[in-house]
Parts: sequence; structure tokens; C-alpha cells
Amino acid sequence: MGPRRIPPHFVAGVRATSPLWLGVVPFGVVYAVLARDAGLSLLETQSLSVLVFAGSAQVSAVGLFGGGASALEIVSTTFLLNVRHVLYGLSLGRRLPLRGWRRPTAAYFLTDEAFGVVAARQERTFAFLLGAELSLFTTWNLATLGGALAGSAIADPAELGIDLIFPLAFLALLVPLVRERVDLAVALGSGVLAYVLAERLPGGLPILVTGVAGSLLGASLTRGRPSDEIRLDDAAREVA
Amino acid sequence: MTFWLTVAGMVAVTYGSRYAGLALRFELPDFWLRFLHYVPIAVFAALVTPSLEGSYGEGEIRLAAAVATALAAWRTANLGLAIAVGMLTFWLLRIPF
Repeated sequence: MGPRRIPPHFVAGVRATSPLWLGVVPFGVVYAVLARDAGLSLLETQSLSVLVFAGSAQVSAVGLFGGGASALEIVSTTFLLNVRHVLYGLSLGRRLPLRGWRRPTAAYFLTDEAFGVVAARQERTFAFLLGAELSLFTTWNLATLGGALAGSAIADPAELGIDLIFPLAFLALLVPLVRERVDLAVALGSGVLAYVLAERLPGGLPILVTGVAGSLLGASLTRGRPSDEIRLDDAAREVA
Repeated sequence: MTFWLTVAGMVAVTYGSRYAGLALRFELPDFWLRFLHYVPIAVFAALVTPSLEGSYGEGEIRLAAAVATALAAWRTANLGLAIAVGMLTFWLLRIPF
């Protein structure tokens, strides 16, 4: 019996997320350094990356742990930061129906970036989604381990400007989705709203509020158009 | 002990959010189908603008890098290439002349 071949769509999913590793690694290292500074053990630092697997929520949580916040405060902040995943799941579930064990598995590893590369692609399969998800999960956890072991001996990645990779990545995912006037209106309106909200609201909340408001704007502007006309399933040119 | 209880709560709200969207299954009215179509556009835009200017007073060159990335993404729709073009633009503009 030969070895089982890795499904090509899984490999394609890993490959689609590989440009993001350069951004995920420093972010994971920074998280781990912050966590150790806040007094978390190696096991606790790594456990958050394995069990919660949500960068901005983990960074906020260790800040709160360090500041002596209550469990309720930490859990509600995490909820605010992560409830946007409901939108990703709703959007993804319609484009890529998942059955049996696939749904809880896909849910566990779902992130902004994995949703991004799948939503931006015409050909959507579970194998592709899982490849994208596990590629990010593995990178995030290795970076956490490296950062937790190395501690604060590491130079500040912000000095190199590596954090810029995240907005650039989402911009590069956004541009091919903008194909007509309403798309452009939603993109510009959302960009402005999020910018304004981010100065007033904590962490992930601006993303959630803008995600809802921008999508409401798009749906309202296309009122009267049948939904199949906006081509739900070929909404994106392929981003490779 | 409190730590692990807190982590359990974090896992519950995070996994709950990730699972709920995928599990909700019902026929949506037209309006909400169109709403979902615009979710990626709205969310991606929201993930760009708040973190674009950074906190080191380099807003202008970071914006220039974003323009370069947008042009590259528009011409090629290639994620890796578009990011590379933007980061190279950023690092080049950062060199003091």
C-alpha cells in the first residue's frame, strides 16, 4: 500500500495562505512575549494559542490577565472581539456546505485570514478551507512556541513595520472583489466607518459593527435586484 | 484555577461564534442573501483602514505602500505579489535620503 496522497485542494489552501506567514509569525511571537511578560507560564501561553486560536483576542486577554482583570471581563472582551466569526460562518456556509465532522472541524480553525482566502476564490472545497486553516494554525502555534521560549530577547517586529502586512493582505484580498459601483460604495463606506469607530471602540468591535453596517448598505443599495444577479457564487475573481 | 476557567469561557464564546454561523441553516430572504454577499467586502475594508497608518508616525509612506499593493492586486489578483510590492515600497520609502 502506497502512502495516501495529500488532496491537491488541501495543498492549494496551504499555498494560498503562505504569503501571510510572514505576518503571522511576528504577531505570534509578540503575543507570546507579551503573555510571558504578563506572568503566564509556557503551558498557559501555548494553551491559549491551541485552544482559543484568535490573535487579537489572545493579545487583549494577556493584557487583561496582567492587569488583574476579572474572568468575566476577559471572557466578554473575547466575545466582542470574536463574534464577527458568526458572519464569516454564515457567509461561508452558503458558499461551501459542510456535512458531518467537517463542520465542527472547520469551525474550530476558522479565522479572518482563512475566511479571506476562501471567500476570494471561485473554487471552494472543504479540503482547500482546511489546508488554509491548518496552515495558519500551525504557523501561529510554532510562532507562539518560539516567542515563549525566546522571551523578550527578540527585537520589536513593529520597528521593521512587519505589522503593515496585515492591512496590506486584506487590501489585496478586497481589491479583486470590487467589480461594480455598489461594491466600491460598500468598500469605501466601510473603510471610513471602521477608521472612525476604531478611535472610539475597543479591538474587534469596529470590525463587527462595520461588517454589519457595510453589508446592510450593500443589500439596501441593491434592493429590487434578484440575489442571483449579484452572482453569489462567482463574486470573486480568483486570488492565488 | 481561575486561569483555566477563564480559558474555558474564552473557548466557549470563540468556538460558539465560529460554529454558530456555519450551523445556522435556513432559507434566507433575498435581502439577507445580498447582505451576506457584501460581508467580505465590508469586513476586509474594516480590517484595512484602522491599522493602516500605524503608530510610528509613518502614515504617509504606509499609505503609499497600500496604494502600490492595491494597484498590484488590481492588475494581477495575486496576494503574495501584491503584499511583496507594498512591503518593498514601504521599506524603500523608509530609507532616509
